[in-house]
Amino acid sequence: MLKYIFKRILIFIPTLFVISLVTFMLSVSVPGDPVEQILGGGGSAGEIGQSSSKLASERSYIDKRKELGLDLPIFYFSLSNQATPDTLYKIHRKPHKENLERLIQSYGNWPQIEKYYLSVQQLELAIADLAPDSLNADAKIGMRDEMFVLFNQDHPKQINSSLNKMKVYMGKAPSMQTIRSEYDEVVSNYQAILQEATPNKNYIPSIHFYGANNQYHQWIVKFVVGDFGISYQDGRPVKEVLWKAVGRTLLISILSIILTYLIAVPIGVLSAKNKNSTTDQIITTVLFILYSLPSFWVATLLITFFGGGDFFDWFPTYGLGNEDDGFWVKAHHLVLPLFCWTYGGLAFVSRQMRGSMINSLSQDYIRTSKAKGVSESGVLWKHAFKNSLLPIITLFASVFPLAISGSIVLEIIFSIPGMGKLAFDALGARNYPVVYTVVMFSAVVTMLGYLVADICYALVDPRISYSSKK
Amino acid sequence: MEPRKLKQDYWSYVMRQFKKNKRALIAAWMLFILLFVAVFADFIANEKPIAFKDETGWHFPIIKEYGVDLGLTKWPLKWSNINWSNQDFEQSIYPLVPYSPTTQDYNNAQFAGPFDDQDVSSTRWRHWLGTEALGRDVLSAMIHGTRIAFMVGLVSMFLATLIGILLGAVAGYYGDDRLKYSRAGIIMGLILLVPAYFYSFQSRSHLMSKAIGDSFLQFFLQIFISIFLFVGFILLAWILSRPLTKIKWLGQKVSMPIDILVQRLIEVLVSIPRLFLIIAIVAIAKPSIILVMAVIGLTSWTEIARFIRAELLKVRNLEYVEAAQALGYSNLRIMMKHAIPNSISPVLIAVAFGIASAVLVEGFLSFIGIGIPPEVLTWGKLLSLSRSAPWWFAIAPGFAIFLMVTLFNLLGEGLTDAMDPRQKK
Repeated sequence: MLKYIFKRILIFIPTLFVISLVTFMLSVSVPGDPVEQILGGGGSAGEIGQSSSKLASERSYIDKRKELGLDLPIFYFSLSNQATPDTLYKIHRKPHKENLERLIQSYGNWPQIEKYYLSVQQLELAIADLAPDSLNADAKIGMRDEMFVLFNQDHPKQINSSLNKMKVYMGKAPSMQTIRSEYDEVVSNYQAILQEATPNKNYIPSIHFYGANNQYHQWIVKFVVGDFGISYQDGRPVKEVLWKAVGRTLLISILSIILTYLIAVPIGVLSAKNKNSTTDQIITTVLFILYSLPSFWVATLLITFFGGGDFFDWFPTYGLGNEDDGFWVKAHHLVLPLFCWTYGGLAFVSRQMRGSMINSLSQDYIRTSKAKGVSESGVLWKHAFKNSLLPIITLFASVFPLAISGSIVLEIIFSIPGMGKLAFDALGARNYPVVYTVVMFSAVVTMLGYLVADICYALVDPRISYSSKK
Repeated sequence: MEPRKLKQDYWSYVMRQFKKNKRALIAAWMLFILLFVAVFADFIANEKPIAFKDETGWHFPIIKEYGVDLGLTKWPLKWSNINWSNQDFEQSIYPLVPYSPTTQDYNNAQFAGPFDDQDVSSTRWRHWLGTEALGRDVLSAMIHGTRIAFMVGLVSMFLATLIGILLGAVAGYYGDDRLKYSRAGIIMGLILLVPAYFYSFQSRSHLMSKAIGDSFLQFFLQIFISIFLFVGFILLAWILSRPLTKIKWLGQKVSMPIDILVQRLIEVLVSIPRLFLIIAIVAIAKPSIILVMAVIGLTSWTEIARFIRAELLKVRNLEYVEAAQALGYSNLRIMMKHAIPNSISPVLIAVAFGIASAVLVEGFLSFIGIGIPPEVLTWGKLLSLSRSAPWWFAIAPGFAIFLMVTLFNLLGEGLTDAMDPRQKK
């Protein structure tokens, strides 16, 4: 047995490694730029100011990016093509990088594309440096919008139309003529991309190796020693954020598991005792309907009817209350979520209970005890019930990880800041450290849960043995 | 009269058992009705008439629309910008619900309720389930939503079944010891894996992401080309490795631990919270129903693979498989013609429950507004609109999801009972 457990835990390591790769790649691929999200700036084109302030914001962007380690290549190596430079990861703004990738995809000539990108940046700075006067205010705003197009679009139609619009704006005010040379540079560089296109380079593979100095390596090395990093959103350590969320999810999950067992076990016994009677059928049907009810529908209805919609305003529907609220306030907040968490599991547990109870009731020792005159309830609770409890207890091990990670739906609807909502929000906000940590944590819990469940099965049922596998 | 002879093979027996189960039988019939609604949604709820007669004869605009969508024909100029609802045709047949899910009824916008007085010319035009904020008919959206729910459920589980059976069967039948391959082949395959991946997937990724937004057909065409290329590379590896097998060490066959690999893959998928995995993948690409179906399919095959693997582990040591081997049949043939068909029944159960859960996942995804394009109205999206709507708005779409989930669950139950030999009545 010990050998089996040891082997299973050893097997965890490659699995966890793959999971860490999957989560890492997935969260890095989510579109959007975490650094911009943190700095709270819109696109660079929307900012107003002189080139010096523009450069300063660029500076702070680069610093922040470096601080978070996002300036490193993503992985140990990259499989790419001849058209894509191995230094593309150095382009700091993620939307710009994605646009450049699209340009490379269509034209395949990086030297020209790089020149074009640099000249677009020069033009942006030149526009920012224009001295404001009465004539060029509107034109400047218009130019900025078109800059945004140049940075984020790759289609010749859009680029040409925005270059033409710029020309019109520049004609509107004499002071705009100072940026003429930068503008012409952009136009000629763009023409160069179109004329000297080498799209075939996209089809020659090339592999670059970056060594250990990459984002994944930095993260996994720290993760293994327990340093989960800092949450991008609020700058707190991820560990702290995670434990708070786990606490809330655990509170609800454990309460709901206890409730489920308290309700479902007697129901299961009842329907096993009256097997195939009307009572049994009614119970089965009702539980089946409950089991099929989508929890997000029930939650919506409960909020509409009891949460101050058109009908009753009985229960709060948002969060779990403040930290310093008293017990009753918190309990009040818990009523609706707990109901939604619990009703679906009833069918599952009570069906297992019914099955194992029927199994025990058909055993010989039950007939024997009936024959020797043990009372009806004595047979039921003392003999049958005790013997059919074990499989239900082992169920717990597999229910537990589900409860920890499977709460995304309800936590989002009831705005409960637990694990599910934490992960969901972090993904939307590109808060990578939190995403990795939550997923890795729930993966570990799930795998341990399955292991415990398997061990429990073996302990309960001597027919199952893991040690002698052929 | 002689008693009718009952067919004694396995599937007739299962059918008979299934028919005895009233609840499951009713569920199956109701699913047929829903499937009918889904297939003919355009003819049940549409602003265009099914058929009408004017001076040039009979016309069938709904059927014509299919042609237009496929690019086969074009709308005549006079129909291209027409308000179908107030035409005076000589004769016309209108659908049961005279609204498309996109038709906006400006007179009854802002949640005209099913019990309110609606500003309509006759009961024929009444919004039986009310309207949403822009005046779109809820009943029509519900009817067309049936199609999306079915599509998501069926397509994603089809994909999941395919992957599940394939991986489960290979893992179960070959185990860790039966799949043998020459060292040369393995090494060649590993070397060619890089260009195979590069040419069939990476360098085509932009084509695929474009096709996802275009249409079903385009996307499957692109996927098919990619898989075709990939298989081509594997064949190439096999051909290139042929001459190398002459060298003794390279030619030796080693067994591949295929079972361990599949098992680990399942473990990885099961350990990441499924809903979170789906949300993360869907968030990467542009919203598209195809993507949602593909992602649900790619994450829900593990149960099926486990079933098939367990069955084939048993089957592979049975006498009839050994007999087939002794007769010199290839492993592929034994697996395809004998082993898999004999262990397919638990898969049906898993598929029925899987469809129920796929419908639920899609409902939730559109409920939180992820993955489904904004112009498509699904049940889940209707339900999400109900947060800022009167109470009655939340009833119908939620009930529809519930009904679909329940029916498929009942079907799964019925199949479980019908296939369980202990349940023999």
